Amino acid sequence: MTQTEINWPDALRATDRGEQAAAVSALRDILQKGLRVALGTRDDVSEAHIEDFAQESLLRVLDRLYQFQGRSKFTTWAQSIALNTAFAELRRKRWQDVSLDALTAQGERMADPAAMPDDLFGAGEDRERLVAALRKSIEEDLTPKQRAGILAELQGMPFDQVSQLLGTTRNAAYKLLHDARRALKSRLHEAGITNQDIQSAFNV
Amino acid sequence: MNPDDQPLTAPQVGELVKLIGQTRDVEFDCSECIAHVGEFAETQLEGRPLDEALAKVEHHLTLCPECREEWLALMKILEASV
Repeated sequence: MTQTEINWPDALRATDRGEQAAAVSALRDILQKGLRVALGTRDDVSEAHIEDFAQESLLRVLDRLYQFQGRSKFTTWAQSIALNTAFAELRRKRWQDVSLDALTAQGERMADPAAMPDDLFGAGEDRERLVAALRKSIEEDLTPKQRAGILAELQGMPFDQVSQLLGTTRNAAYKLLHDARRALKSRLHEAGITNQDIQSAFNV
Repeated sequence: MNPDDQPLTAPQVGELVKLIGQTRDVEFDCSECIAHVGEFAETQLEGRPLDEALAKVEHHLTLCPECREEWLALMKILEASV
C-alpha cells in the first residue's frame, strides 16, 4: 500500500499494535523528511534538531488526530503541525533573552510625543495629519499591553514570544494586537483619514 | 530624546500604518489559519480558486509573519514531493 492510499487516522488508531507501530514509524519518517526539506539549509538547525522536532511533532499530531477534518491530505495537515512546532521552538530560542519589563518600558515610550514627530515621514500635510492622529490614538486608545505588543510586533518579535512575555496564548496575543489595530484604524477614520488616504500617503 | 532610545523608526511606523490599512473587523487568528493552511497550500499548488475560508487564510498570511513563514515552508515541502 502506498502512503497516499493509507487511511492515516485509522492506521494511527489501529488496535493491532503492529499495524499502529508501523503507521507511527512511517509518519515519523515523513515528518522528518519534510522538516529536512524545510529547515535543512539553516545554520541553526542540525540533524539532531530535526529528529527532535519530528518526534515532538509526531506526539502533537497523535494528540490532535480528532481535529483532522480531511480538508487536505493527512500528511499535509501533519506537516503543518510539524512546521508550527519546529518554528515555535526556533523563535523561542532566538528571542529568549528579551524581558517583559524592557518591552513594556519601550512600549510606554511609544506614547511619548517625541517618539513620533509630525515630520517623521518628511513634509506633507496628509502625512503629518496621519502621524498626529496615529500618535494621539497610541496614547489614548491603546492599553500598556497593546502598546508593548504592537512595538514587539514592529520589532519583529513573533507572536509566540509576545504571548509568552504577556502571559497569554498566541491566539490571545493576536487578538490583543488585532483589537489594537482596529482601535487605531477607527481613530484614523474618525479623523477623516481613509484607507485610500493611507495608501496614497504611504504608497502601501 | 536620544536617537538610540527612539522606540519607533520611520520604517516601523510605516509598517504599522500598512498593517492598519489591511486590518479587517473579522480576521482569522493563528489557530484558524493553521487549521486551514494545509488546504490553502494544496489549493494554491493546484491553481484552484479560494473559497471564503481560504481567502481569510490568505488575508491572515499578509498580517502574520510567523504563519507566513510556516506556510512558505509547507509549500517548499509540498513542491519537493510533487
